[in-house]
Amino acid sequence: MTQKPMMKLGAFLMAGGHHIAAWRHPDAHATAGVDIDHFIALTQMAEAAKFDMIFVEDAAAIRERNPDLAGQAARSTSFEPLSLLAALAVNTSHIGLVATASTSYTEPYGLARSFASLDQLSGGRTGWNLVTSASDLEAENFASSGLRPHAQRYERAEEFADTALALWDSVEDGAYVLNGDSGVYVDPHKLHPVDHHGRHFQVLGVLDSPRSPQGRPVMVQAGASDIGKDLAARTADLVFAAAQRLDDSKAYYDDVKSRLAKFDRQPDDLKIMPGVSPIVAASESEAREKYEALQALIPDAVGVALLASYLSIGDLSGHDLDGPLPDMPETQAMQSRQKLIIDTGKRENLSIRESARRFAGARGHWQVFGTPVQIADALEERFMAGAADGFNIMPPLFPTGLQDFIRLVVPELRRRGLFRTEYQGNTLRDHLGLRRPS
Amino acid sequence: MMHLGLSISPFGHHPQAWRGKTVEAPSVGRLAGQVLAAQAAGLDFVLFEDRLGQRPDAGISPLAVPFEPTTLAAALATLAGDIGFVATAATTQHEPYNLARRFASLDTISHGRTGWNLVVSGRTDGWDDEYAQVVTGLWDSWDDDAFVYDKAGGRFFVADRMHVLQHQGLHFSVRGPLNVNRSPQGRPVISHVLTPETFDIAARFADVIVIGPSTPEAASTLVADLRRRLADARRDLSQVKILAVVTPWVDGQADFARLGELSGTTTAEPDEGLMTVGSPIEIADVLQHWFASTGVDGFVVRPPITPEVTDRFIDRVLPLLRQKNLFRDGYTGRTLRDHLGLTRPDLNSPAARENAS
Repeated sequence: MTQKPMMKLGAFLMAGGHHIAAWRHPDAHATAGVDIDHFIALTQMAEAAKFDMIFVEDAAAIRERNPDLAGQAARSTSFEPLSLLAALAVNTSHIGLVATASTSYTEPYGLARSFASLDQLSGGRTGWNLVTSASDLEAENFASSGLRPHAQRYERAEEFADTALALWDSVEDGAYVLNGDSGVYVDPHKLHPVDHHGRHFQVLGVLDSPRSPQGRPVMVQAGASDIGKDLAARTADLVFAAAQRLDDSKAYYDDVKSRLAKFDRQPDDLKIMPGVSPIVAASESEAREKYEALQALIPDAVGVALLASYLSIGDLSGHDLDGPLPDMPETQAMQSRQKLIIDTGKRENLSIRESARRFAGARGHWQVFGTPVQIADALEERFMAGAADGFNIMPPLFPTGLQDFIRLVVPELRRRGLFRTEYQGNTLRDHLGLRRPS
Repeated sequence: MMHLGLSISPFGHHPQAWRGKTVEAPSVGRLAGQVLAAQAAGLDFVLFEDRLGQRPDAGISPLAVPFEPTTLAAALATLAGDIGFVATAATTQHEPYNLARRFASLDTISHGRTGWNLVVSGRTDGWDDEYAQVVTGLWDSWDDDAFVYDKAGGRFFVADRMHVLQHQGLHFSVRGPLNVNRSPQGRPVISHVLTPETFDIAARFADVIVIGPSTPEAASTLVADLRRRLADARRDLSQVKILAVVTPWVDGQADFARLGELSGTTTAEPDEGLMTVGSPIEIADVLQHWFASTGVDGFVVRPPITPEVTDRFIDRVLPLLRQKNLFRDGYTGRTLRDHLGLTRPDLNSPAARENAS
């Protein structure tokens, strides 16, 4: 008997919401970004709805160089993800917890240790979203003279990922024997010290914590370039992607899954969960109104600056905002997001202003508006088409956007047999249907 | 009143403490229990040591807390809402931007109850000093009134209340600003365990200095020396707390003998600091004597066996210190600075200063 597969759902948390102007909305909790109880409440809400995980992003810098523009958005400060994850771990019992951390300005021992520690704290519910840092503002906080070229960032990421995986495997299950009579605390035969001498890192030793209840933290990536997709196919358990249209989503899905065989992995060993920003209401027109209410709060300059930052070009304000996007060289930073913006702009003949306003809702991720049935239809279509194993839900506004999705859409998904009613396991690997690494 | 911190370890600070117990691998519950007990007793803070930032190369010590200290503190701070959390991190472990950010975030999560126990690199080329400058500079990235959350006006923060550090030094080049709000206590507390090589950095940056003399005479000399260094560094002496390490074997004569035997020695483990074996009255008297005669502001308690000796210290010694009016009954403030009697380093924009005057 084959069981119908269920979709995976993540809640991508962000202080006030994913929409750039969310914090200005009357329903927005203005100080959400410094309110740990806000994040705990959202995570508990997602856990009560049996979501697979929550997800948080990261940047090791403010995100806008112009202080006046930065001051008109809520994106400059946030909790540091690993400390946030720790706080969420001890206030929940089942939901998976995924935090983003860059390989560009951290060291593998410290990061692998932190995630191993978080995985102990949470009982095997954490995941690490591996990213490389692309922005100049981040580079300038770490003494770098310039941005590392894309290929070199990934070379470091590859070595980083391999070293972290080796460290997570450096302590076997059952290594802590604690035999008080003999005085053996840890069985030395169950330790496998890493002895890594690479181009970027020299790492010796073992982690000083027991092996994770789920074997290893879940490895999450979002690589969209060729080199990023190969790294994901080789080392990731879960991929987070941005795709506007079903065709793009399907093409990406097939591409990444087809790369798995190269690395002796099965299609099910890696799950793909694109981002989606849903606005749900009783009617389609009401959903549109909710969207427009947020759109009305975007100052043009803020929207255009956000778009420029994802295009990795310094400034768009010198261009006619009612004209098309200018030609620009391929960036060394976020290549795939730049391409997505340019392609969408060309395909739909969007002006700079229109592109910016489109982009301000979910930073290039898929946006859907409508009734619970319409949104469930849209998700089901992509899921059944083999374009996604599930979705990372990016509500434009917190907490109401997540409440609405859980109250209105999740029951519809359950009615169709597409989403679980209870957790079947305790670890994030259990939820995602991933095998525990031996 | 004296200040008291409790150093947390899975089984106790004696290397043989785990033996003779029916124990499982050290869990977060085991550590959380100690933190909650320390909070119920009204202690100023718990300290998470980190084996001085060393990593194990092959073996794993039973003294090692199997959790990374800063994230452990973040987790436990949400479960214990009053006590302070001091977590250890070495200047060799993290980039200064990442460390400043981790502790600022932790300080926001804990509503201002965090301290960074600064472990130095041992380098002699100014690395540690510059590192601490960058970290404290980043903590001052935002005026206390920078964030105005003006929805109607579309103004989240006031641009000129943000400070871009623009640090260019010998070892670090850090633009800033920090991408975490300024903390409820202004800045996280900086603590430092003094060594003969670290008087300068302690005098310049530490709010709490932990010292490890084993006799009151040595303590008096050290405190006097430190106070001179602090005065040279133009620090306000009331704003730096000097705490002595104490290992109290409360009603622990039999434990002391048993663990000594397991270690193959009848002398004390070479732990630094004041070691005292005896009855609660004897130990309270020793602490009183040190507090009155050496100039220390309090103690960091390192129980040799936990939870047993921790509980005995809390249940049997603390009441005696309270009877002597040497330790407060409970918390009188909300932040770690409040607990330690340290003033908040305010950072107000010119506008706020004008309104206040």
